Order: sequence, then C-alpha cells, then structure tokens
Amino acid sequence: MKEVIVLIGNYGSGKTELALNFAFRAARQGKKVELLDLDMVNTYFRLTDRANLVKSYEIRLVSPNFVRSNVETLSLPAEVASAFALDWDTVIFDVGGDPAGATALGRYHDDFAALPPGSLKVLNVVNTRRPMAGTPEKLVHLMRDMERHSRQPVSGFVNNTNLARMACVEDLREGYEIVREASIASGVPVLYTTARPDLLEAFLSEGHDPAYIGEPMPIETFMHRDWETFTKEGL
Amino acid sequence: MALTLMKGSEAIAEAAIRAGCRYFFGYPITPQTEIPEYMSARMPEIGGCFLQAESEVGAINMVYGAAGTGARVLTSSSSPGVSLKQEGISYIAASELPCVIMNVMRGGPGLGSIQAGQGDYFQATKGGGHGDYHLVVFAPASVQEAIDLMSVAFDTADKYRNPVMVVADGMICQMMEPVVLPEMQDYKIDYSVKTWAANGRGMSKPQRAIINSLYINTEDLDMLNERLQATYRVIEANEVRYEAYNLEGAEIVCTAFGTVARITKSAIDDLKEEGINVGLIRPITLWPFPYKQLHDAAVAPGVKAVLDVELNAGQMLEDVKLAVNGEQKVDFFGHYGSHMPTPEEIKEKLLSMREVL
Repeated sequence: MKEVIVLIGNYGSGKTELALNFAFRAARQGKKVELLDLDMVNTYFRLTDRANLVKSYEIRLVSPNFVRSNVETLSLPAEVASAFALDWDTVIFDVGGDPAGATALGRYHDDFAALPPGSLKVLNVVNTRRPMAGTPEKLVHLMRDMERHSRQPVSGFVNNTNLARMACVEDLREGYEIVREASIASGVPVLYTTARPDLLEAFLSEGHDPAYIGEPMPIETFMHRDWETFTKEGL
Repeated sequence: MALTLMKGSEAIAEAAIRAGCRYFFGYPITPQTEIPEYMSARMPEIGGCFLQAESEVGAINMVYGAAGTGARVLTSSSSPGVSLKQEGISYIAASELPCVIMNVMRGGPGLGSIQAGQGDYFQATKGGGHGDYHLVVFAPASVQEAIDLMSVAFDTADKYRNPVMVVADGMICQMMEPVVLPEMQDYKIDYSVKTWAANGRGMSKPQRAIINSLYINTEDLDMLNERLQATYRVIEANEVRYEAYNLEGAEIVCTAFGTVARITKSAIDDLKEEGINVGLIRPITLWPFPYKQLHDAAVAPGVKAVLDVELNAGQMLEDVKLAVNGEQKVDFFGHYGSHMPTPEEIKEKLLSMREVL
C-alpha cells in the first residue's frame, strides 16, 4: 500500500529536514519515492534548494512553478497529481509553515480522501523552542488552525524540538513534556521523536514514557540556516 | 537565559516591541513580510498598534505622525519600498523626530531580486532623500545582534531626535538562529524630556508643540541646518560602533558588514589554520563610519593591503578609501545580483592578493 506522509507545522519546526530524512530513509530501503515541495509561503531555505541531493537518491521531486526563479507568486504545479495517480511506495508532502502554508493542502482534499484507509499520515512537526509553539495550549491551538486550513485531521505529533546547531538533550526533554501535555489535551498521539543520533540516544536512556515518544528516529541535518556551515549545496 | 530558535524577522519585531515600540506601520514586501506579519499578531496582544498602510508612502507618513507624539515607532520594508519612503524620511529628519526604519535589503536596482543584497549602502548612509541630513545606520551581522541593536536604535533615535535606520539583508531576516531575547522594557514616554512632543497642549505646556519641516525664511532654515549639523558632529564623535577581528599580526585587513562579514570571518578562520593572518574591521554603524579605527588598522605595521568585501559593486568601498586616505592599497571583492560570496571565493581572492604583495 502506498504510504503518504504529509508534514505540517509551525514554520521553523523542521518539516523540510524531516521530509528529506523520511525520503532518504525510504529510498535506502529500496522504495520508490516522490517528494513534493508544497511550500507556498517561504522563498528562502526550502526543499527545492536541495534538488541535486534529492535527485542523487533517485527520488522524484515536485516543486512549485517558478520556484527559485525569484518570483514570489509561486503556484501549485499540475504535477502534484502524480502523487496520487502514479504507483509510488512512499509519497512525502513538505508543506509551508503555519495555517497559511497548510492551506495549500486543501486543494487536494478529494485526492487524500480517496486514498485507502491507513495510507495517509498527517504529521504535525513540533519544535517547542520556537516562540509560537512554547506551550501545550499554543501547540493545540496552532494544530486545530492548521487542520481547518488544510482540511486534514492530524494523525500525530512529531517532537523535533531543537536549537539548530546548539541543539541539546534538554531541548528534547522540554519538547517531550510540552508535547505530552498537548497530546493528552488533544487526544492526538505522539508518533515520532526525532533528533541527531547522539542526542536521541541520550534522551531515550532517560526512561521517559514510550507512549509519548512514539518511534524514535535519528535524523541527519541537510538544511543549514547559518553562515558557519556552508555546504557544497549552498546555504 | 532561555534560548529560543527565531527567524530574524520575528526576532527583530519582538526586540522592537521589547524596546518599547508600540506603533508599527508598514506594507508587505519580500524578504521582510514576516515583520509586519508578526507585528499584526503581536501588537494587539500588548495594546500596541499595527496598521498595514495603503503604501510605503502612507506608512512612513504614519510614522512621521506617531513619532511627533513622542512614541516609539517602527516601520519596515525592503529596498524598493525604502526608496518610496525617502521623502517622508527627509521630512522626519528635518522635523528632528526619533523613529526606527528597518531596511531588509534585497538585490537591486529596480525591483531587483527577492534574495539578499547590500546595494542600499549609499542610500542609507549618504542621505537617500533630499536635503542635508543623516540617519544613524546600524548593520547587524547575526539575528542576535539584530535583536541587541533594536533597543540601541530606539535609544539613539530618542537621544539625538534623529531617525535611525537598521539595515539587514534578506539572509538576516530569513535565517533562524538560537537567540536570547531581552526582557520587556517598561517604556513610558517622558514628556518632561520629550518637551517637543505633540501630546496636546494642557496647562503645563507653555508653548504649542509644532512638528514642522517647512522654513520659508532662509535664516530660519539656516538655523535648522546648523543645529542638524551640530547634532551629526556629536553623533560622529560618540556613536561609532565596529568590531575588530583577528587584527593581531594581520597581513591584510578586510572590511565587510552584515552577513558578508560573517562569510569573510569564515575565510579568515580557514586561512588562520593555514598560518595566514588576515584581520577584519566590521562597521556596526555604517554611519557614523569608523574612519579612524579602520585607518589605524590599515596602516598598522605588517599590514600590506585592505580588502573590502560587499554584496554590491563597491559602495562602502568609497568610505574605506576615505578612511585609508591613500596610505594603503585597497582592493575589492564583491558579487551583485544577490549571489552570495562563499568563504572559498574570499579565501582565493585573499591568496591571490598575497602573491603580489
């Protein structure tokens, strides 16, 4: 059965980073993967910036029209239909931040509805170190807003709390506490906890309730947002 | 000290609020639209005023009005939008009013690009509008520095009754960095200091507060200009800010501002590992420019050349040459078209200079 992962969340929560990690993991398992850059909000630091890297994994990348051409009025390409029409093992949607970004999903409501039961996972990526996501109340409020705009119920939280290059175990621990409360308040489960491998290992050794950790997933960092870490892919 | 992961634009907006800014007037333009977006959500929470004007011209004139009442007021735009504001900025400078104008520079000229640029150096530092006036111009090189400079910008504007511009570039506004925010300042307008504020006459105000930039009588205009120039001389004497990096034993001294200075630092660090010493003077105030400090660094024993690096065709270069005053070789490395230089390119340039020194 086709696995469709939709990543939504507050901007800066790490959706693009996770989209790349989910995609590469699936590709390494020999799966046929399509990755869709559906960010209609941001013009800087986006999935398509890593097009060469994505293609090196033989992953099909779909990007908005006019992306990286310095045109601000991005539009959704007809090619998005290939996510539903073609025979992929894994399809990953990287959606723009906040309710505004999630709105882009609404257009595909009927296509998502036609997927077989159990095929679709809508993941709400959370970084509680971001200013608009620092309390359980804010998280639930933002999630409900995004659900309305995207016309999709969230399947689960992803605790991806980090401080970019200064990320530490305390981030994950704080994220765990806040996401757990948000999960209890909303009834939405925690499906993943994601972090750099060393941080994740240290966090897991602390013996927190697995019900609010979900699947621990070590991730690599591909999206750089600061000048100290230039890569050959650019910023 | 709680660290939080913030996008430059949000951080700038929040820092302005914490510095006492309660009025924001603006108009959206990439790459700074997140500033008005953030303000539109945040200002109502704290009893402030966010207003999306009908245009940049409208916004700057709203700033003019609010500044006339003594309030802390901010507007924000990006290069083409800042060009539109110039008439209003000249009026505000002439009326001796404090306010802060944020320019998140993008590529130019014209509509240019929506990526980062530094092509508004001339506009910001040499008087973008008409008449003899100066803005104090701050140029942060990181999200944290942008935060820290917001309260400095408001204080400086108040201190000299002069508009202050903060120039960042698209990268500073769009990148996310872990930062520490300052505490919320309990700012209240002190009318006993801001006696010029048009806050209603009342019994305690012996004279009407009139905000004006029109002087029909030439002697009156002379007096205004003399007062303005005297203020600028005080600012030049007291407000220069810069960062000196790795000057000890440097063969070449680089000059760069904003994010380009950070890239230049990376190149300097790489060269240091190879045993080659290159220094950096990074102006934090573009006006007043650190002429003396740069001059002294450029002619220090062992220094053989100066390299200015910018994301334009060489605008700060003119001030670098004025500072060096013909006493040192000055070279330039720049990109335009919003095409960011890499540390490798700067390194190569420095190494090629070294071969002929």
